[in-house]
Amino acid sequence: MTGFPTWWSGVSGIAARQTRAFFTNPALIIPGLLFPMLFFAAFAGGLSDLTRVPGFDYAPGYTSFQYVFVLFQSSMFGGIFIGFAVARDFENGFARRLMLATPHRSAILFGYAAAAMIRAAFTIVFVTVIALIAGLDILGSPGQIALLYVLALASNILGSLWALGIAFRFQSLSVTPFMQIPLFILLFLAPVYVPLQLLSGWIRHVADVNPATFLLEGGRALLAGSAGPVLAAWLVVIIGGIVLGIWSLTGLRAAETR
Amino acid sequence: MGAIEVRGLVREFKKGPRAVDGIDITVAEGEIYGFLGPNGAGKSTTVLMLTTLLPPTAGTATVAGFDIVKQGAEVRGAIGAALQEAALDKFLTGREHIKLQGSLHGMKGAELKRRGDDLLERVGLTDAADRKVGGYSGGMKRRLDLALALLHNPRVLFLDEPTTGLDPQSRTALWDEVARLAREDGVTVFLTTQYLEEADALANRVGIIDHGHIVIEGTPAELKASVGRSSVEIEPHDAARLGDLERTLAAFGTPLTMRGTSASIRLNEGVSDVAAIVRALDAEGIGIHQLRLREPTLDDVFLEQTGRSLEGSGDDEDAAE
Repeated sequence: MTGFPTWWSGVSGIAARQTRAFFTNPALIIPGLLFPMLFFAAFAGGLSDLTRVPGFDYAPGYTSFQYVFVLFQSSMFGGIFIGFAVARDFENGFARRLMLATPHRSAILFGYAAAAMIRAAFTIVFVTVIALIAGLDILGSPGQIALLYVLALASNILGSLWALGIAFRFQSLSVTPFMQIPLFILLFLAPVYVPLQLLSGWIRHVADVNPATFLLEGGRALLAGSAGPVLAAWLVVIIGGIVLGIWSLTGLRAAETR
Repeated sequence: MGAIEVRGLVREFKKGPRAVDGIDITVAEGEIYGFLGPNGAGKSTTVLMLTTLLPPTAGTATVAGFDIVKQGAEVRGAIGAALQEAALDKFLTGREHIKLQGSLHGMKGAELKRRGDDLLERVGLTDAADRKVGGYSGGMKRRLDLALALLHNPRVLFLDEPTTGLDPQSRTALWDEVARLAREDGVTVFLTTQYLEEADALANRVGIIDHGHIVIEGTPAELKASVGRSSVEIEPHDAARLGDLERTLAAFGTPLTMRGTSASIRLNEGVSDVAAIVRALDAEGIGIHQLRLREPTLDDVFLEQTGRSLEGSGDDEDAAE
């Protein structure tokens, strides 16, 4: 077997291994679910009175407002966690088997990214079920809601590409903070607790140009069925995908020449 | 064209030495080529380059007819490799490794299952196939690694120190399997080792590398013959007669290093000298406590070429390997 069938077989084999590791290892699956739930409980539960602030006009309510943040946050971190797995595979030598046995090495990158998406899809379902129980209000059309989830999965790909680029370059678990911290900063400099128009001062200036703002505000508009920067969110995904795609592919090339 | 053709291959590490410094190697189809040298000599670096895990700094090489730099994917499709440390996932079973390895090579379904079962049986892991690899012994991991390397019927097999750390029984079983692969399946084997007996027992031809250079190459018999004749070492009954012993022996060959209570010489004529030596010592009244006749070994070859002994040497050499 040669060409695309071999490549695809490699992608699915690597994705299957990672997915099995996720679903059979409590140490991986529990934090992946607890993390978003903690955010959700803390923000949606503890800060719901923020809806009384003048100018807070998000129709579906505060639980739905926070749900979108948790959705994107858990999706993106699902991508970051795959970077941990790659770094671990390089540290324990298993990555060498993949590099040696995979004729077309881009299958390694796509295999890990596919595993991250499967993992993110599972987390999204879990978070959504909990949010529905907690009173999630959906006002968008089925098409808009479908777009919201596609956008969330696309943000997972962005997180994966970022983390894979680092993991391939440094091949060590010691650099995992470099995978997480930039994403934390990006997310928390976006309108997490209140809509963009309620932010002021320096954080408003930063949030105005923060790509995460477009993802969150676009996602919230889709959930609410209202006007919002949906197009800008897609531009973030496309441009981010190109830039981070190059970042991860050049990382893979760097790993090949180490 | 040989299964492996290497011309002027160089690998230079940043701020480090030239781990491989312009080597030329040709390995024929179906041949077992033993690549011998102490730690840090450049063996593993060579293997990493030939298996496309490390790009060469200069030079060219083809494996199974494919260029290692320009046709990496084709090379990887044609080779199998079991490197120094078996790269296994302790949370996967042996059979799950087979499945993953097969999928990396585009194998699936009944073909993969049949081939996987065959190999697991051949390496004696059928009973352990559904156990997690974390519970395998070192020998079992090596055997699984070999099975994985052979899964896609590679034309060229790279084995990098495959028996390091194995018990004698596992080592012999692995030797038998490697010999069978070359003999029956026509697989070309590139075997790196620091065990002289391993190269002697398995390899059709041997190349000895030291400090990144190939110092000599040939069949084990040719290499040993190049060193010359056999040697004899004799320990007298009476240690006080050691001087007399040395003088008597000097007539039969070239004195070699002395080990305290014994004397040894490289024989002028070979084994046929031994009877005459015994008679001469008897005539001098020198009793023989022990007599050891030694054929030249690959270590003698290495000693002759480099001035150092291969056995136990090089442990403190560079970390490139």
